[in-house]
Amino acid sequence: MGVLPGHVPTIAELKPGVMTVHEGTDVSKYFVSSGFAFIHANSVADVIAVEAVPVDHLDSNLVQKGLAEFTQKLGSASTDLEKAEAQIGVDVYSAMNSALTG
Amino acid sequence: MAMAALRREGRRFAGSITAPRPMPDIRSALISEEQVPLGVRSISTQIVRNRMKSVRNIQKITKAMKMVAASKLRAIQTRAENSRGLWQPFTALLGDTPGVEVKKNVIVTISSDKGPEKEVKYVILGEKAKAQLMRDSKKDIELCITELQKNPLNYTQVAVLADDILKNVEFDALRIVFNKFQSVVAFLPTMSTVLSPEVVEREAEAGGTLGALDSYEIEGGETKGEILQNLAEFQFSCVMFNAVLENACSEQGARMSAMDSSSRNAGDMLDRLTIFYNRTRQASITTELIEIISGASALEG
Repeated sequence: MGVLPGHVPTIAELKPGVMTVHEGTDVSKYFVSSGFAFIHANSVADVIAVEAVPVDHLDSNLVQKGLAEFTQKLGSASTDLEKAEAQIGVDVYSAMNSALTG
Repeated sequence: MAMAALRREGRRFAGSITAPRPMPDIRSALISEEQVPLGVRSISTQIVRNRMKSVRNIQKITKAMKMVAASKLRAIQTRAENSRGLWQPFTALLGDTPGVEVKKNVIVTISSDKGPEKEVKYVILGEKAKAQLMRDSKKDIELCITELQKNPLNYTQVAVLADDILKNVEFDALRIVFNKFQSVVAFLPTMSTVLSPEVVEREAEAGGTLGALDSYEIEGGETKGEILQNLAEFQFSCVMFNAVLENACSEQGARMSAMDSSSRNAGDMLDRLTIFYNRTRQASITTELIEIISGASALEG
């Protein structure tokens, strides 16, 4: 979703992914692990993230390794809890992957 | 370890004079109190010198403790001020409503290691609060967590803690009590309120500050109830993170100012002792001179 002044007041829950901030002509990309975005009626937007890292700080080797590790864990998971944890890991790492490539 | 050394030096102090009195009285009082053996003719400055040494040691220790507290404060102060931005969006969205009527209150008290039907339960973080609250409300204490400052504070730790609390304690409103850091010498005991999702719904329908909540569209595939639940949990962990940091800041600030005043006191005491020492020394020299001269004049006839 894109947020411009005059957006309808919204509460949105964020999934792991990339957030792009445009300041005039400057564009900075951040990878957000999860959190919330509030857009208020007075055109103020708050983004609260558990972790936010500039995309250039992501190391692609570690991302690939993590993705492989969690995909394997997902395959071998037995309990629901393990499956959920592995699924979360896969989601986050694939989002990081697409952030780096896309 | 520093505190133990301080206590040792202090005990050596306790036996001697600490209050300032007119000089001649001190001298005679000194001799009688310290049990100088009979027949000694010169006035001993040893005792004063010992006292001065111990005061100087205390001053060094308190100065060092002040430096340590100051450096810890500097490190944690920027983090605390930055973390204030964590809960501000929540307040902008939900407002701050300490006065909401709820049935189940859970109070999370953060301290250092060192109505109609209303239930109040406590979750305690820190030794000091534990000691105090154990006395009054022993049966109301749900969880007790200590030694929070062993590892540098970070969000993950607090998130785990918040998770624990949310799982084990049923609540309608969570009130977090902590010391908000205003400046090195000023801290304000503050209470922040986090309402459970059901209460938020109820208040939103009733109107008032939360009434505007309904005008917000919900984005994403989840229902309003789920979003509110996640929101409440996230809000709780953010507020707690900020509260823990602010509390740590206040603690270091208090320690710094306490050490500062004690070093200054030690300095004053050292000045007074130095003056007394010099006078004692001069008096003993004068006495010897007088004895020698009167002895010599007695010989001459």
